[in-house]
Amino acid sequence: MPPRALEVAKVEGRPETYEDQNVHAVYDEIAAHFSSTRYKPWPIIAKFISSLTTGWVGLDSGTGNGKYLPLPLDRPGGIWTIGLDRSRNLLEIARTAGSFSASREVVWGNVLDNPWRPGIFDYAISIATIHHLATHERRRLAVKRLIQSISPSHGRALIYVWAIEQDELSKRKVVSDNETPSFTGKDVIVPWVLSKNLQVPSNNSSDKNGEPQVYHRYYHMFAQGELSRLVIEAAEELGLQLEHKRRDEGQNVRGVEIVQDGWERSNYYVELRLWQT
Amino acid sequence: MVRLLTHNLLACHAKDCNTNNFPLQFKDVQLEIREADFNPEFLKGFMPKIDWKALVDTARQLGDTSLPLEQPEMVDDEFLKNLHHILLEIHVEEGSMTCPNCGHVYPISNGIPNMLLAEHEIG
Ligand SMILES: [Zn+2]
Repeated sequence: MPPRALEVAKVEGRPETYEDQNVHAVYDEIAAHFSSTRYKPWPIIAKFISSLTTGWVGLDSGTGNGKYLPLPLDRPGGIWTIGLDRSRNLLEIARTAGSFSASREVVWGNVLDNPWRPGIFDYAISIATIHHLATHERRRLAVKRLIQSISPSHGRALIYVWAIEQDELSKRKVVSDNETPSFTGKDVIVPWVLSKNLQVPSNNSSDKNGEPQVYHRYYHMFAQGELSRLVIEAAEELGLQLEHKRRDEGQNVRGVEIVQDGWERSNYYVELRLWQT
Repeated sequence: MVRLLTHNLLACHAKDCNTNNFPLQFKDVQLEIREADFNPEFLKGFMPKIDWKALVDTARQLGDTSLPLEQPEMVDDEFLKNLHHILLEIHVEEGSMTCPNCGHVYPISNGIPNMLLAEHEIG
């Protein structure tokens, strides 16, 4: 089947309300089915988590079904990742992520808030989350909140978002071949076809015809370079230097270093590290 | 889950609530004790980040008095086992957490704390 072109999203009204209707409500409905399809950790994220120091605690901001909470599997209990999500139904799944006998730490909250002691985490991850925020300002605020949640002296963070540039295996096509490339990304609607055996019987007319229920999720697909620009803007707003730590820096200088910045299988990612003199 | 590990990291984030907004005070709690794997290396690495007074006070409120008032410099196995139990084996399943500064109440249900704020409460 050739990739299907995605419908363009028009963000109208207040972005909070738009996200409530086109992101949060949808995930609460599709939680069980969505979770059953999301079990494999992406390699770059698994590698990042494996590299973290024993004794560290971290935040998974937008944890979804919590698939990263049990990692690293070869050092169980060596680090603790606390999962935060806006979808209560996904958190019910995340609280036993990895094994029904396990218990994970999860918190119901918003990625634009900071319900933590400032800078208390050693690391933070934001995986496939920021692309659900409906304006550039809100996406930048989410990056700021992530930076504020980690230690100014050694905090590490990894951010992953969907890319306009999808790989050839993807079922999705974000831009048509004759469209000029965008630098500011593209707002689209990505359908979710609910598995029939997970469908709740209802009076919905689409059920009677035997048609599967389709839900529509809002995504902001990132353009090349857009995620690293977002990180740079957030860092500047927080008054952070944007380079490597140098020996000749004065006292109490704070900065952020972008450790890696790349594209992997339809996603852009940025890894960053904070430093302080 | 709200274990004391997580509780020691949480703070009130209501609008204009920036001082004395930690630790949140447990109220009407239902506890469950569940065994967790003992990992002394994790505990030693995590110790410098613990707000010790908050942890000791909270553990005492929940009925556990095994921790010393000052964080010890030398740690032995008995101490680490007590710390492990307090941080990772006591689960607050139901109840609420109240901010000591502004009085905002964060409910806990089915082990999940609700840290969402209403729109007018967001800073
Ligand atoms: Zn407060």
